[in-house]
Amino acid sequence: MKTLNIKKLAVVLSLLVTGIISFAFINQERITVKGSDTMVILAQKWAEVYMKKNPTASIQVTGGGSGVGISALINGSTDICNASRKMKQSEIDKLKDRYNTLGVEVPCAKDGITIYLHPGNKVKELTLKQLSDIFAGRIKNWKDLGGANADIRLYGRENSSGTYVFFKDNVVKADYAPNCQTLPGTAAVVNAVKKDVNGIGYGGAAYSTGIEICKVKKDTNSPAYEANATTIKNNQYPITRYLYMYLRNRPTGAMKAYIDWILSPEGQGLVTEMGYFPVR
Amino acid sequence: MKNFYLIITIFICLAINAKAQSVQDSLKDQMVELKERINGIDERLLTTESDLSKHNKIKISGYIQGQFDYFENKLSYPNNSFQVRRTRLKVQYEAAEGVRFVLQPELGPGGFELKDAYVTANSPIFKNLDLWVGKFNRPNYEVEYSSSQREVPERSRIIKALYPGERAIGAKLEYKAKIIPLKLQLAILNGNDGFTYKDALGNNMNTAQALTNKDYDNFKDFMFRATYTSKINDIIGLDFGFNGYLGQLKATSTSTIKGDYTLDNNTTAVGDALKRNWIGAEFQLYVDFLGGMSLKGEYMMGQNALPGYISNATTTTTANAMNATNDTILTTTTNTINKTQKPNQIVKFSGGYLYLNKNIGKKNQISARYDFYDPNTQISGNEINSKFYNASIADVTTTSSKVSGKNIIVTKNVTQTNVKLNSGTGDIAYQTLTLAWNHYLNDNIRVTFAYEIPMNEKTQSKDLTKDANNNLINLNDKATINGVDQYNYYNSVFKQNTFTIRIQAKF
Repeated sequence: MKTLNIKKLAVVLSLLVTGIISFAFINQERITVKGSDTMVILAQKWAEVYMKKNPTASIQVTGGGSGVGISALINGSTDICNASRKMKQSEIDKLKDRYNTLGVEVPCAKDGITIYLHPGNKVKELTLKQLSDIFAGRIKNWKDLGGANADIRLYGRENSSGTYVFFKDNVVKADYAPNCQTLPGTAAVVNAVKKDVNGIGYGGAAYSTGIEICKVKKDTNSPAYEANATTIKNNQYPITRYLYMYLRNRPTGAMKAYIDWILSPEGQGLVTEMGYFPVR
Repeated sequence: MKNFYLIITIFICLAINAKAQSVQDSLKDQMVELKERINGIDERLLTTESDLSKHNKIKISGYIQGQFDYFENKLSYPNNSFQVRRTRLKVQYEAAEGVRFVLQPELGPGGFELKDAYVTANSPIFKNLDLWVGKFNRPNYEVEYSSSQREVPERSRIIKALYPGERAIGAKLEYKAKIIPLKLQLAILNGNDGFTYKDALGNNMNTAQALTNKDYDNFKDFMFRATYTSKINDIIGLDFGFNGYLGQLKATSTSTIKGDYTLDNNTTAVGDALKRNWIGAEFQLYVDFLGGMSLKGEYMMGQNALPGYISNATTTTTANAMNATNDTILTTTTNTINKTQKPNQIVKFSGGYLYLNKNIGKKNQISARYDFYDPNTQISGNEINSKFYNASIADVTTTSSKVSGKNIIVTKNVTQTNVKLNSGTGDIAYQTLTLAWNHYLNDNIRVTFAYEIPMNEKTQSKDLTKDANNNLINLNDKATINGVDQYNYYNSVFKQNTFTIRIQAKF
């Protein structure tokens, strides 16, 4: 059988690679960020402050949900994806197919998924099991939890949301009850619960203003904790998660500078300022 | 006067009160009306949401590949042409949580073909277990890797030979472990989808391809694939796995020969099982080095089987002989049945492929693939054309006679069987190098420039030759172009390269 001239092939490939490689390293000052609604206010703050410090930088931030951001990362329409959950294997496989990379995961903040209640609700703390039963539709009345004799009204996120997926996988551990109203964004969930004395919702800690925050305990014998800097840092609050930025490749140039800044004390300081919890 | 003012004041107060009452009533009415309207909008919104949620369960995707090919083979006429290579429309419907229906027709100019038609159902008990039933991709890396994503225009030669059409009809269990990144697939299949088994007249004996869609035989084939996904560090990922095929094919001849063209001593009857067993190992290495890069490969080896056929041709001769002594006629009819057998064949094979892909920025990707396939490892290139099996089975004669009046009628049935099979183009190994550059205009449109360089194994034969039975051996390709016979000679590596420019639109 004819033997391939491997040397010639190697030379041709090397020339092709080195000839075009410079395109990959052209510093793009314009950076697009898309994804998690939970993170959008933090990402906007980062972009705003960074652009003030670096006038040549242009950073465009949009929400849409973690799933939307990951799709955008895969189809090339965003440079950074914000996600409030880890990428699924099927999503990593798509990145592999299209870009031959595993993606780069950058944990950039921590968050506690907060349970929102109306200030008029007598219930002030719940166990993980009770939360699961509530959102799976197994407990339907507040009186079963020591509250008023009234139907529980559930407010949650759309299935493109990372918070939706995280809460389902880690707390509900079953399908959401069919009567759980899905709302486009954490702010909408907070607003809905504010107006509904029998409502309960979940979302990022940064949005929990003007509303009752329900304490959560692992089980009936555990102490109840509210999501705050101390309980999240010490992993005491039971529904703690990382917030991530995902990239297709290892960052270079302007992108690397921006990521480094986010992870710097200054960037992490904004995390605390915006109501999230720093990773460093 | 005071009373007058008092009366006027009371009257005005009453009037104002009446007016206020009237305004209040009017406001109340408006509130009720608004509330009803909001309730109406709410109701309509819920109906719309409910309708939309049904539509959300349907996902439609697809792609079209149009291309221009230039063939560097002197037997190709025309040597350049446009074609629509693939036109796929995939419709998925999520009937319930974990239950999915998938239909994917090919709507090409060649006609309609149902590429995929299956249902997947998630086990209610074991959430990580899925059952697939219908027509779906066979479990293999290159088979399951979508044509819309593959870096080079076509699959490797070995994959096209072992899994023609990629899909098969059957059932599959797919298990994705939750704790470790392990995926297991086990399929039971008819096993013969896409294959053509020709009889003596050139007709396809594999009715699985006909509209009746019946299986070719009673035997079912098993396929398995296990893959493990690992992340070595932040920039290197390695996926690896193995796969196997345990299949059987119905024998259609009473003789079976091996890849070296000697008789297989295991007696074969029509309907016996011919084993088709092979194993494979695969890996995919991903490295984030100056952008994404991957090295992907698979090696397969084992035994394949090809069914033969038996064709009958009967000639009849009649001879009359007069017996003058007793005034009788002896009529002898001889029926000669010439049975030509193409024996079944079981061959050892090996092959594989290796891809090297490099992404340059977001929009460009260059790739090189080397693939090789030796369909018969039991004979070398030099033996192709000289190796053959040719045997005659001893004639069988049966005689019967009867008396009709004064005459005697004798009938002789003579069966002559000849079994033969020649080595030829089907035994030639190939190596193919494919170079490709993919440019993504955006997420939907990709332009591919590819150059495929197949290299055939060299044989001893230069021209068309004849075997011991004076039959032409189909070793050389031949075409008559513009009235001139042209040949490809397999005693050299002849040019058969293809240059392709393809535009793919995907949604």
